[in-house]
Amino acid sequence: MENLKTDVLVVGAGPAGSMAAKWAAKSGAKVLLIEKRQEIGSPVRCGEGISKSWLPEVGITPSSKWINVEVEGARIYAPNEKCLEINEKNAGNEVGYVVERDGFDKALAIDAANAGTDVLLKTAATAIRRENGRIVGVKAKRSGEAFDIDATVTIGADGFESQIGRWAGLPTNLALRDMDSCLQYRMTNVDCDVRYCDFYLGKVTPGGYVWVFPKAEGLANVGIGVQLSKIKGMAEARQYLDDWISKHPAYSKGKRIDIVGGGVSISAPMKTTSTDGFLLVGDAARMIDPLTGGGIANGCIAGKICGEYAARAVALGTPTKEFFQGYEKDWRARLEEKLYRNWLAKEKLCSLSDETFNKVVDALQGVKLEKLTVHNILKAVRDKYPEVTKEFAEFL
Amino acid sequence: MVSKKHLHIESSGQLCIYCGACVGVCPLNCVYLDETRITFDEKVCTRCEICVKACPVGAIEIG
Ligand SMILES: Cc1cc2nc3c(=O)[nH]c(=O)nc-3n(C[C@H](O)[C@H](O)[C@H](O)COP(=O)(O)OP(=O)(O)OC[C@H]3O[C@@H](n4cnc5c(N)ncnc54)[C@H](O)[C@@H]3O)c2cc1C
Repeated sequence: MENLKTDVLVVGAGPAGSMAAKWAAKSGAKVLLIEKRQEIGSPVRCGEGISKSWLPEVGITPSSKWINVEVEGARIYAPNEKCLEINEKNAGNEVGYVVERDGFDKALAIDAANAGTDVLLKTAATAIRRENGRIVGVKAKRSGEAFDIDATVTIGADGFESQIGRWAGLPTNLALRDMDSCLQYRMTNVDCDVRYCDFYLGKVTPGGYVWVFPKAEGLANVGIGVQLSKIKGMAEARQYLDDWISKHPAYSKGKRIDIVGGGVSISAPMKTTSTDGFLLVGDAARMIDPLTGGGIANGCIAGKICGEYAARAVALGTPTKEFFQGYEKDWRARLEEKLYRNWLAKEKLCSLSDETFNKVVDALQGVKLEKLTVHNILKAVRDKYPEVTKEFAEFL
Repeated sequence: MVSKKHLHIESSGQLCIYCGACVGVCPLNCVYLDETRITFDEKVCTRCEICVKACPVGAIEIG
């Protein structure tokens, strides 16, 4: 295979990569998107729940091609199985659609291609190439053949399993407490409620939660995330999930038709996500919301900013670390405060006993919250269980 | 030379679901996923066993 040359090279055609490619192309750059899989979006590694408030911001038009159901709200289950119902308004749009993730990823890639991006499948980046300290593209392999790609700006959007960030010298390593191991079954013949995305908390799922996201009547994604620092042996994600399912007749009677796994980062935001000639985005840059484990929205939002900066650097001839401070500033202005806030909330939640969870959910029964914020929740809890809020003094 | 523990990944489709959790946690970048094949750089691997924990289905064994 001949060597290739482009303005902007995007590695990885997940949501973050396709978004970055689309907006770089729309901003006038020559863009190449490479993806090591043979089919974009497949196999799916996702619970497929997304909120919807951010879609217009990144130019995504909701389509029946990839929406399974539109949910009205979420239900948070305490360990005693009492639940807190949160509708879309007071959930701050944390829920919205359950999507067909492979269709969603393909739609985004089509958008990128229609904006002028060239796409190469079965093409993996295998190393970073540097000249005078600056990143100038990658070494790649396509169907077994090695070749070089020259790029003015390289964007790393290679997801949770990212290697490119580390090759570029950015600190993407995760501590055990910064990562969840996830497993999910798609189950049919279950009693799910298509109006809600459900979340189950507590010791049944150490440092994470069990989710039930409805895909249709009788069909749901039932999954679990467990924090690595809280588990000891092998295959614990599966054990905890199987255990949970066996105790819930609405699901234990179901049949598993698909199995999905993966890692999710639950860390505080990374300090540096760019260097000379290089930008990192999406899961690769650990942009997942550490409380919800959702990363599609943040990947798309930062992806757009990333693509626009890459194109600007090409136009101005300034693909430098200094210029990319603008990228750091802009994506952080949009996402960092919430990432931090939710990281703190997650750290706290992970330390709570089942008893405290039960009290928090109980205290919120029938209470109308204007907006679902940690602060508002705690104020409501304080009215009923003042002793519980002592545990949260730092949030009040 | 100290001999390293044996590393075995059950990636023939029996256990491994090719989800990439082990790739993302490896602090030394020595695990690689290529669609339905996982490979370890055995020379780089220090047998820290983080991937063993991260694997949701228990497909990696070291010992
Ligand atoms: C079990 C599970 C459930 C989840 N549920 C949800 C959910 O309900 N809602 C939500 O918002 N988020 C969820 N997430 C997180 C969400 O899946 C990610 O945040 C999202 O996929 C991130 O998008 P991305 O574009 O950064 O990376 P990815 O979607 O991971 O895309 C990265 C792409 O890069 C490719 N790639 C990797 N290395 C290379 C290479 N060297 N060369 C070329 N290509 C490469 C990969 O093949 C992949 O296609 C879940 C994650 C897991 C594991």
